[in-house]
Amino acid sequence: MILRRKKVVIISYILIIAVLTGCFNAKELDELGISLAMGIDHEDGKILITAEVVDPAFSSEASNTGEGSSVRYVQGIGNTILEALKDITLKFDRGIYSAHNKVLIFGEEIAKQGLVSHMDELIRDREQRESSYMLIAKGAKAYEVMGINSGIETIPANYILGLIKNVESNPKTVDFSIMDYLKHYYHEGHHPVAGVIEKIQKNEINETGEKSGTKGYELTVIGSALFKKDKLIGYLNGNDTKALNYLLDNVKGGIITFPATSVLEEVQSQESEQILNSVNVIKVKTKNDVELEGDKVILKSKVYVRAALGELLENTDISKEGNLKRIEDDCSKTVELNIKAAVQKVQKEFGIDIFGFGIVFHRKYPKQWKKIKDYWDEIFADAEYQIEVNTHIIRTGLINRPLEK
Amino acid sequence: MNSRNVKITGDKLYYSQALLLIISYRLLLALTYTPALVTTPTNQDVWIMLLLSIPYAILISLPILYLGNKFNQYDFFEYTEMIAGKIIGKILAVLYSFAFLSFFIFFSSVFIEILNTALYNQTPTIVNTVILLATCSYVVSKGIMNLARLGEIVIPFIIIVFLLLAVLGIGDYDFTVFLPILKESTFKDLNIGAIDISFRYIDVLVLAMLIPYLEDKKDVNKIFIKSLVCSTIFSILAVVVIQATLGIEYSKRINFSYYTYTRLIKIGETQGFDLLYVASWIMGNIIKLSGYFYFATTAMANVTKKRNQFFIIPVAVISVAVIVFLKDYRPVIAARDPFKSIFRIISIIFIIIIPLIILIIYFFRRKTLNKTGGAKRK
Repeated sequence: MILRRKKVVIISYILIIAVLTGCFNAKELDELGISLAMGIDHEDGKILITAEVVDPAFSSEASNTGEGSSVRYVQGIGNTILEALKDITLKFDRGIYSAHNKVLIFGEEIAKQGLVSHMDELIRDREQRESSYMLIAKGAKAYEVMGINSGIETIPANYILGLIKNVESNPKTVDFSIMDYLKHYYHEGHHPVAGVIEKIQKNEINETGEKSGTKGYELTVIGSALFKKDKLIGYLNGNDTKALNYLLDNVKGGIITFPATSVLEEVQSQESEQILNSVNVIKVKTKNDVELEGDKVILKSKVYVRAALGELLENTDISKEGNLKRIEDDCSKTVELNIKAAVQKVQKEFGIDIFGFGIVFHRKYPKQWKKIKDYWDEIFADAEYQIEVNTHIIRTGLINRPLEK
Repeated sequence: MNSRNVKITGDKLYYSQALLLIISYRLLLALTYTPALVTTPTNQDVWIMLLLSIPYAILISLPILYLGNKFNQYDFFEYTEMIAGKIIGKILAVLYSFAFLSFFIFFSSVFIEILNTALYNQTPTIVNTVILLATCSYVVSKGIMNLARLGEIVIPFIIIVFLLLAVLGIGDYDFTVFLPILKESTFKDLNIGAIDISFRYIDVLVLAMLIPYLEDKKDVNKIFIKSLVCSTIFSILAVVVIQATLGIEYSKRINFSYYTYTRLIKIGETQGFDLLYVASWIMGNIIKLSGYFYFATTAMANVTKKRNQFFIIPVAVISVAVIVFLKDYRPVIAARDPFKSIFRIISIIFIIIIPLIILIIYFFRRKTLNKTGGAKRK
C-alpha cells in the first residue's frame, strides 16, 4: 500500500515537473537573437532601431584569425519603437531578445526631440532591463557609432560597456542607466544627464610602431549630454563632466592634476607654469547646500577629497608637513576653480540645474519651493556659487622626495 | 514550559503558526503591488502614514476582536448565529462566504496578472488560473492545520528573502528622497491615507476565523498586535526600499513596484535576484489564497451543514471562470477602478459595519446569552 502510494507520488512529481517547465514561454537558444546593444534613431519621420545581435556561430578560432564578426546588425523601421522592433522580424530570422541589452544608444536627433515618450516601450516591456546604460551618439545617428570596436573585446557592445565602466578610474564621463535618467527626470529641481558616445578618428599604427598613414575610428565616451526635461540641449566636455560628477557625488576614482603654486610664486616664468603635480583620488564626498539671504539664492558646495600622491614634478620635500599641506591646498584650489568654472558655464550657457541644487532647496525651504519651483532654472542661472574644497593626501607612494637633484 | 512551545497534538493551531499566517497576509500585499505607494499622501511621507495606520487598524478591528475574545470557542459564523439568531446568522455566513470568495478572486486575479505581465506573458490566462486553483484546492482539501504547517516553513523563507533583498539593494538607496519630512502632507492627508490603508488589510477577518483553532485562546490579542506591528514594519521597509531606489514619482507609476525593485538589484555584474523574490512570492500567495478559499468554503459549510471539502471543486470551477473573465477583460492592478472601490466597500461592510451591528445586538442580548451558556461551549 505504502509502495503504491510512493509510486503515485513519484509519478505525480514527474507529471508536475513536466507541466511546470513553462512550455508556453519556452524560448530556445537557437531561436533567439540575443541583442547586447540597441540603437534608437529618428530617420525620415520614423523610428529606426538597430540591434547588435550576437552571432553564436562565431567561434574562438575565428576570433583568433580575425575572420568574420562576433555580431550582426539588424535594423527595423516603424512609427514607434514597438513597430520598429516588429519590423526586424520580417528581415531577420530570429526574434530579438533584449533582456541582455547592456547599452542603449540614442541618436542625437531623437534625443533633441525628447526621449521619455520613446522610453515607454522599453520600460513597459519586462524583457528590457532598466539597469541598461544609456548613451547619446554625439553629432551622429546611433547606428553610426555601433559596430566600431578598437578594443580587445570581440563584441562591440562589451567594448562600449568597458569604456563606460572606466568612469571608475576617470570621471570625465557618466555611467547613468535608464533608471537613473528617469529618476532625475521625475525629480523636481534636477534635470537629467546621460552619457555620450562619439566616433573619433585615430591614427593606425603598424607593428613596428610607426604610423601607417591610414586612419581608423575609435569610440570615446568623454563628456555628458544635458537634457532640459527630456530634450537634449547640449553637451559638457570632459573636464566639466568631471566637475558634474564631483557635485553629484559620483566620483569613484581618477586623478587631479594641478599646478605647483609655490614654484609659480618663486620663479614667475613661462616654464614654471608647466610644473604640474598629480594625485590619485581615493574618495570624494560632496555636500551641496543652498542659502536664502532675503531674495538672494546662494549655492554652496563642500568637497572633501581623499587622495594619494601620484606624480610630483616640483622639487619639494614632502616629508615636511608644511610642503604636503601646500600641495593639498594647490590641489583644492584647482578642484575649486574647475568646479566653479563648470557651474558658471552651465548657468550661463544652458541655464538648467543639472547638479541637483533644486532638490537641496526643496528639502531646505519646502514652503518657498512651492512658490519658486516653476522658475527654479532662472533662479539657478542667476545664483551666486560658492565652493570650498578640502584635500587630504593620505599616501605618498614609495618615495618621499622627487628624483630630481 | 510555555504550552505554545510544546507541539504535540496535530489538531490545534499554535501561536507561532497563527502569527506567521497573519503576518504573511499583509506582507504579501506589500510585496505584490504595495498599495501604500498610491495611497494619500503618495509622497515621501507614506511611511509615516503607514505608522499612523496602526491605531486605525486596531480601532477598525475592535468589534471583531471583542467578539472573538468573548466567543473564543466558536468561529465567527457560529457566534453570529447565537447572537443574531439562526436566520440572520445563516444570511451573514452566506455574505461572509461571498466576501472571502471576493477576496480570493480579487487576489488570485492580481496573482495571475503579475504572472502574465512579468513572467509568463505567452501562457494563456486559463492555464495559469487552472494551475493556481488546482494547487489551492489541494491545500484547502487538507485543512487549515496543514495550511498553517506549510506556512510555518514557507513564511519564514519569504521573510528571510525579503530581508535579504532589502540588504542586497542597499547600494542603490538614496535616502534623501524622504526629505523634507512632513512638509508636503497635512495631518489630514496622513490620516485619510492611514484610514484608507487600514481597510486594505483584511487580516483581522482571517484571525477571527482562526480563533477557534487556536491552542491558547488568550493569545488572540497578542497575535493581532504582534502581527499588526510586524507586518506594518515590513510594509514600511518595502515602501522605503522601493522609494529610495526608484524615487518617489517613478515608484507611483509602476504596477508591481517591489518586483521592479528586485529587477534592479545588481551585485557587480550579477543580476537576476528577482528570481528569489518570484519564488518566495509564489509560495506565499499559494498560502494566502488558499486561506481565503478555505474560509469561503467553511462559511458555505456552515450554512449547509456539510463538510467544506464538498464545496472545493464547485467553488474552484466557478472561480476559474470568474478569474479568467476578469483577467481577459481588464487589468486588475493597472486599471485600479472599479476594483479598488469595490474592495474598499466590501472591507468596510465586513470588517466594521456587520461586526459592529453584531456587537450592538450582543450588548442588548448579553444577559439572555449569558443565561443560556453564551460564550462557553456546552
